[in-house]
Amino acid sequence: MKLSSILRLPALLGAMLLGTAAVVEAEHTSNWAVLVCTSRFWFNYRHLANVLSIYRTVKRLGIPDSQIILMLPDDMACNPRNAFPGTVYSNADRAVDLYGDNIEVDYRGYEVTVENFIRLLTDRVGDEMPRSKRLLTDDRSNILVYMTGHGGNEFLKFQDAEEIGAFDLADAFEQMWEKKRYHEILFMIDTCQANTMYSKLYSPNIIATGSSELDQSSYSHHADNDIGVAVIDRYTYYNLEFLENEVRDTSSKKTVGDLFDSYTYEKIHSNAGVRYDLFPGGAEAARSRLVTDFFGNVQNVEVDGSKNTTLEEDMLALSKTIAALRKKADEEEAISVGKEDTTTTETTKEMKNETLLTHKSQFAKPLTDDNWLGKKLSALGAVVGCAVLWQMGSWLESAQK
Amino acid sequence: MPRLLASALSLRRDPRLMKLPPYLSLLCIVVGVVWLFLLPLDDYSRRTYISENALLPGQVHTYFGGSDQNVFRAYKHETDELAGKGNIEVNDKLESIAKGLGLKVGRQNFTYSSAGNTHSGQNIYAILQAPRGDATEAIVLVAAWKNVKGELNRSGVPLVLTLARYFKRWSLWSKDIIFLFTPDSIAGPQAWVDAYHDAHDSSRVASLPLKSGALQGAIALDYTRETRFQSVHIVYDGVNGQLPNLDLINSVNHVAGGQMGMGVAIQEMWKHSNSYHDRLQTMLRGMLKQGLGLASGPHSSFIPYHVDAVTLQPFGDGWQDEMAIGRVIEGTFRSLNNLLEHLHQSFFFYLLMQKERFVSIGTYLPSAMLVAANFTIMAIALWVKSGQPDVQEVITEKTKTAEEAEKIALPNPHVAVERDLFLPLVLVAVCQFLGVVPLYLFNHLSESALIPAFVLFTVLSAILPFLLSNLLHTSTTSTTTQQYHLIRSFSLLLLGMFLSSLATLNFSLAFLVGVFSTPLTFVRPCPNSPILKWLSLVVLYVLSPTTVVFVASVLPGLDEKVGYGLGEVLRQAAFAWDVTGTYTPVVVWCVWWPAWIVGVVSVLGRPGGGDKKMKKA
Repeated sequence: MKLSSILRLPALLGAMLLGTAAVVEAEHTSNWAVLVCTSRFWFNYRHLANVLSIYRTVKRLGIPDSQIILMLPDDMACNPRNAFPGTVYSNADRAVDLYGDNIEVDYRGYEVTVENFIRLLTDRVGDEMPRSKRLLTDDRSNILVYMTGHGGNEFLKFQDAEEIGAFDLADAFEQMWEKKRYHEILFMIDTCQANTMYSKLYSPNIIATGSSELDQSSYSHHADNDIGVAVIDRYTYYNLEFLENEVRDTSSKKTVGDLFDSYTYEKIHSNAGVRYDLFPGGAEAARSRLVTDFFGNVQNVEVDGSKNTTLEEDMLALSKTIAALRKKADEEEAISVGKEDTTTTETTKEMKNETLLTHKSQFAKPLTDDNWLGKKLSALGAVVGCAVLWQMGSWLESAQK
Repeated sequence: MPRLLASALSLRRDPRLMKLPPYLSLLCIVVGVVWLFLLPLDDYSRRTYISENALLPGQVHTYFGGSDQNVFRAYKHETDELAGKGNIEVNDKLESIAKGLGLKVGRQNFTYSSAGNTHSGQNIYAILQAPRGDATEAIVLVAAWKNVKGELNRSGVPLVLTLARYFKRWSLWSKDIIFLFTPDSIAGPQAWVDAYHDAHDSSRVASLPLKSGALQGAIALDYTRETRFQSVHIVYDGVNGQLPNLDLINSVNHVAGGQMGMGVAIQEMWKHSNSYHDRLQTMLRGMLKQGLGLASGPHSSFIPYHVDAVTLQPFGDGWQDEMAIGRVIEGTFRSLNNLLEHLHQSFFFYLLMQKERFVSIGTYLPSAMLVAANFTIMAIALWVKSGQPDVQEVITEKTKTAEEAEKIALPNPHVAVERDLFLPLVLVAVCQFLGVVPLYLFNHLSESALIPAFVLFTVLSAILPFLLSNLLHTSTTSTTTQQYHLIRSFSLLLLGMFLSSLATLNFSLAFLVGVFSTPLTFVRPCPNSPILKWLSLVVLYVLSPTTVVFVASVLPGLDEKVGYGLGEVLRQAAFAWDVTGTYTPVVVWCVWWPAWIVGVVSVLGRPGGGDKKMKKA
C-alpha cells in the first residue's frame, strides 16, 4: 500500500509538470467580465434578466464580484409593478432568483451612459472613481463583454437618451489594445441587428458573436404571465442553456467553438453571427479557446525568473550581439594597428594583444546557450539519480523488513 | 420656359378659365364623398396594432374569480336593496362598504341647470393608494348608478365594489386606483372630472375633498343586465367628437377578444361580418356620433381632459359571467398599470370600421378638406368675377354697335373693376351675427318653451331671406350683379374657412355640414328663369339647418324604432351645451345657418341697375 503510493509520486510530479506546461499555453492570468444592460423601463424586464443571468453564470464559474462590472439602468426588483418584490427571474418557472442577496451593481440608473461605458473600457476615469467601478485589467486579462438592449444597424440604444455606435465601440477596443488592457476579448451582444455592432471592430484578439443579422430582430424567449412581461431573450436563453448544461464547472473542456455551434436558427429565430478574423490564428485558434477562458476564472500564475523565457531570450540575444560587436571591434583594431605601424616588432604586437586580452577579461562573461542540452541532461540526471536513490532506499528498507 | 410662362399667362386671360371653378368645385365634392366611401376597402384602411410597448395587453394571468364570485353576490345583494332609494342613501351605503375595504372615500355635490331643469346629485369615490407606488398617477374605474338610458347599473356597481376589494389584495399597482360612483352617466362624471382638474364652476360643482395623481386612463362599466352575456361593447366617443387613444381600445379589444375569447363590438354593430357594407355602416355610425359631439357614456367627460377612457357594456346572450368582464377590467388595468407615461403613441384621430380596422386622419382628412375647399374655390372665383365687367352686358352692347363695343370691351376684361364692398360686407356680417339669436334661444329657454320656439324660429328663418331680399331691392336701393357675387363670395369664403379648420377638430361634423351645404356653391340669382329659381329654393329649404334638425329628430335612431322627438333632441342639445360644453350648436347656428340664409337671399336676388359703374370701368 505504502509502496504503491510512493510509486505514484513521480508520476504525479510528472503530471504536474505537464499540467503547468498546458496552462502556460493559455497565457492569461485574470478574467474580467463587463456585463451591460442598456435599457430601462418595466417592459424591458427581460434585458435586465439577460444580464443578471450571465452575471450569475460568470460568478458560478468563479469570477469574483471585484472583477465583474455590472451595469443596470433600472431596478426591476423594486419596481412597484413587480408581482414578486425584490426578485428578478429569467424563467417563468421562477426557480432561481437572480437578484438574490448577493449582487453587486457597479453602475446603476442614470450612471449607465455611453460616456461611462467608454470611460470604463479605456480607463479614462478621474481619481475619485472607486476601484470597484474600474476595469483594472492588463495585457494578461481575458475579458467577457456582454451587452443587451435595443439595437439597430450599427448602434445600440443606451437608456432612452443616447446610443453607442459600432465605430465608437471599435475605437474603444482599439484604445484598450493600445494601452495593453486586454489579452483576449469575447464580445457577446444580444440586441436587434446585433451583428452589425461588432462589424466595425478592428483590434486583434477579439472573438465576437451576436444574436441577429442586419435587418433581423432578436426575439424574446417567453413571458412570465404573473410578472406580465417577457423574462429572457432567445439568444441569451440558449447561451445560458449551454453554459448551464455543458459548462458545469471550471474544469469543463468545452470550447468557444462548441458554444457557437450550439446556435441554430430554429432555437434563436434569428441568425446568430460569429467573427473570428480578428483573432490570431483565425477561426481554428478562436474556436479552440475554452469557454472557461472567458466565462470562468482560471487561476493561472505567472512566475518571475527562470520561467521568464522572453527575458532570457532577450538577454541571450543581447549577449550575442555584444560578443559579435566586440569581435568586429577587435578585428578593426587589429587591422588599424597593422596599418599604423607595420614596422613594429612582434613583441610589441604580442604585448598589445596581451593588453587587449587582459582588457577583454574585464567584461562580464557572456551568456551562451551552447551547453543548453548538457544543462538539461545533467538536471534530468540529477532528478533521475535522486529518484533511483529514493527507490533504492525504500527497497532496502522493505528488504530489511 | 418663357414660352411656358407666356402660354400660362395667355391661359390666365382666357375667358374659358372663369367657367372652370363651378366644375372644379363639383369635382372636389364628388371626390370628397367618393373618397369617404373608399375608406372601408382593405387598401385604404389598416389593421389596428398596439403601438405603445409598455402596455403589454393580455400578457398576464388574471385571477379574478373563484371566491370573488361569492363576494360579488354579497355586494349585489346589498346594492339590489338600494334600488329606488335616494342618491344620498345609496352613497351612505357605498361609503360604508368602501371604508370597510380600507379605502379613502370622498363625496362631491353638483347641481347643473339646463333647459329649466336642475340636474343635481352627489358623486362618491374611493381611492386605493398604490402600496408601492408614488401617488403621482391614477387610473379610474367608473360605475354610474344609472346608464345613459336611465337604466340601473345593476351588476356594474357591485362588480366595481368586488374589483375594489380584489385590487386591494394586490401589491403591484404603480398608480393609485380611483373607484368612482356617479348618480348618472353624464353630469356626475363631468362634475367630478372638472373638479379633479380644478376647472369647475364652484357655484355649481363642489371641489373634491380628496385627490390623487394625474389621471392616466379610465374605464367605465355599464352593466345593467343580470344574466350571462356573450360579448362586450366598447363605447369610445367623447364630447365634441374627441376620441380616446386608439391604443386603449386596442388593449381592451386584445384582452377581451384575444385573451378572454369574448366578442367585441363597436358602434352598436351587434353583428359584424367584416364585409364592406358592415364596415361602411360602422364608420358612418361613428361619424354621426362624432358629428353630433354628444357624450355617449360616463367615459366621455374624461376625454377632453386628455384622459383616455372607454365604457364597457356587456351584451348578447352567451355564457360569459360577471367574473369574465371583471377579468377583462383586471387585464386592462394591469396594462394601464404598466404605462410609463400618458398614452401618446397611437392615434387620437381615427375612424374605426371594425374592431380591428381603422383609418387614420391622414387618410380620411382629405375627404372633408375637399368638401370644404369647394366653397373656398367658388369664393375666390366669385371674387375674381366681381372684379370683371359683366360679360353679358358687354356682349349685348357688342351686338348693338359692334365697332364701338370692340373698342371698349377689348381692354376691359384685364382691368379690375372697382368693387362695391359695403353692402355685401354688411349683409354677410349681419347674417353671421343673427346666428347668435338661435344659439342663445335654444340654450336658455326652458324645456316647455323649446318646441314652440323652434317652430317660430323655423318660420322666421324661412321668411327672413325674403325680407332681406326685398330690403335689397327697395325703390331707392338696387343691388348689382357684382354685389351679389361679393355677397356669395364672402359667405362662401367664411364657410370654407370655418369648415376646413373644423375638419381638423371634428372631421365628421365638418364633413356633414359641408355636404349639407354643397348647394350653396351652385345657387345663384336667376331672375330670368323662374323654374331654376324655384328648384333652387326647394333644394335649399329641404337642406336647411332647421329642416335637417327636425327630420333628424323624428327619424328612427340607430337602434330605436322611433326617433327621439324634437323636444328631446332640443333638450339634449341644451343639456350638452350647458353641462359637457358641446359646440355643435355653434357650428349649426353660427356657421351653417348664416351661410344658408345668404344662399337663399342670393337665389331670390334680382340683380339689376348700377351698370353705370361698370360701363365707366
